[in-house]
Amino acid sequence: MLEGLYSAAAGMETAQTQLDTVSNNIANEDTPGYQAQLLGFSDLLYTTDDDDPSTAIVGSGSTAQTVGFSQTQGSIQQTGNPLDLALDGSGYFEVRQPDGTTGLTRNGTFELNAAGQITTNLGMELQPPITLPKGATASQVSIAADGTVSVNNQKIGKIQIVNVTAPDKLLPQGNSVYSATAASGPITAAKGVTVQQGYLEQSNVDLDSEITNMETANQAYDMGSKAISFESQFGEIAATLK
Amino acid sequence: MDLGLNIASAGMLAEQTQEDQLSNDLANASTPGFKASSSVQQSFGDMLLYNTKTGQYVGQIQTGVDVKKGATDLAQGPLDPTGDPLDFAITGSGFFAVKTANGVQYTRNGQFSKNDQGVLVDQFGDNVLSQNGSPIQVGGSGTVPGTALGVFALKNPSQLGNNNFSGTATGRGTGEVESGQLEGSGVDPIQAMVQMESALDAYTAGQQTIGTIGQTMQESASQVGSIP
Repeated sequence: MLEGLYSAAAGMETAQTQLDTVSNNIANEDTPGYQAQLLGFSDLLYTTDDDDPSTAIVGSGSTAQTVGFSQTQGSIQQTGNPLDLALDGSGYFEVRQPDGTTGLTRNGTFELNAAGQITTNLGMELQPPITLPKGATASQVSIAADGTVSVNNQKIGKIQIVNVTAPDKLLPQGNSVYSATAASGPITAAKGVTVQQGYLEQSNVDLDSEITNMETANQAYDMGSKAISFESQFGEIAATLK
Repeated sequence: MDLGLNIASAGMLAEQTQEDQLSNDLANASTPGFKASSSVQQSFGDMLLYNTKTGQYVGQIQTGVDVKKGATDLAQGPLDPTGDPLDFAITGSGFFAVKTANGVQYTRNGQFSKNDQGVLVDQFGDNVLSQNGSPIQVGGSGTVPGTALGVFALKNPSQLGNNNFSGTATGRGTGEVESGQLEGSGVDPIQAMVQMESALDAYTAGQQTIGTIGQTMQESASQVGSIP
């Protein structure tokens, strides 16, 4: 009869995971380019009940795991800042992470570092690097839909837009930056994606559905604790038998 | 031993099993495509009573209840639009097939994605199968038409965990595949709570029955034959 207790506890842990994910998504609702974390739920192994081995099978609860990141396009908002870039379509900017490895991000809040290179707001340079000529300012930069960067109508480089086969399997590195993994497949050039200068893609977090999920998880948590109290009453009653 | 004791204890064990199943159902109230294990109680076979001297048939008596397995409630769950083109739901009967390390298994949870080869997989990375049993390639636009996914009719489906069922496929199921939707869990949490409460009541009643029978036996052992 302890199965029921453990199932209920597993259900509460599932609800806790869902609450954690919801909180993370809601907290990042204002992070440009943030892709909402998606959860997958599943039931656990079924066993024959010890109390009655000949017949009934009883499950052992549920679990939840991150199965990917929402690939829905976030809404695109005008900022007027020449180094704010939004991606329209499925793909990522390629940046150099502090440890030297390649990172992928849809957060298009770019700026210039001391050397005149275009970097993310966390100082990660675009890959391949794009450096403005000496004396040029951000307001002189124009970026075409295909990523071509020009200063005063002179082409100085092209922003690479890349993608992987399975974006769900990217490894999040924090700050909306992801790394490619064996499961995500190698980084390749993205197709059909356009760059929009002076705009930012907002997070694709759907607040309404997150709040619904939070309600659901709260209820599941409450009901899990009720189930535990039912199960423990069973135990108490069994203990009074003599 | 008193037959009543056996009947009461069988009833209590059955309620306990039901409570455990309800607890599992409740834990899976958010699992897409989950099917509740509604436990069906059935009585043990009737015992026939005969007169030991004449062999004459006297009547029959029941000896309590037992929980039978295979009572998974396969009713259609509610459809929940997700907007993810690789989420699928079956409306009607039938199961998706996935190729696991332990052979082909079946599921109603259509929360799929594509792997590094661009092949449609479930959340454990197992290939989703078409009607003829081959893996499914996701198109360049990141979508798969619902008709590409196999829907299998299943004989004797039995829950295995990881959203999967075992069973014998018997051709195409009658259900239709909808993309961009997930089938919600078949568990009604309110109903499950009420059933847990009623199982507890029945369990308590069983305990009181045993107590009463115990008292009766004690009285018959200590008082019958004693001179008042």
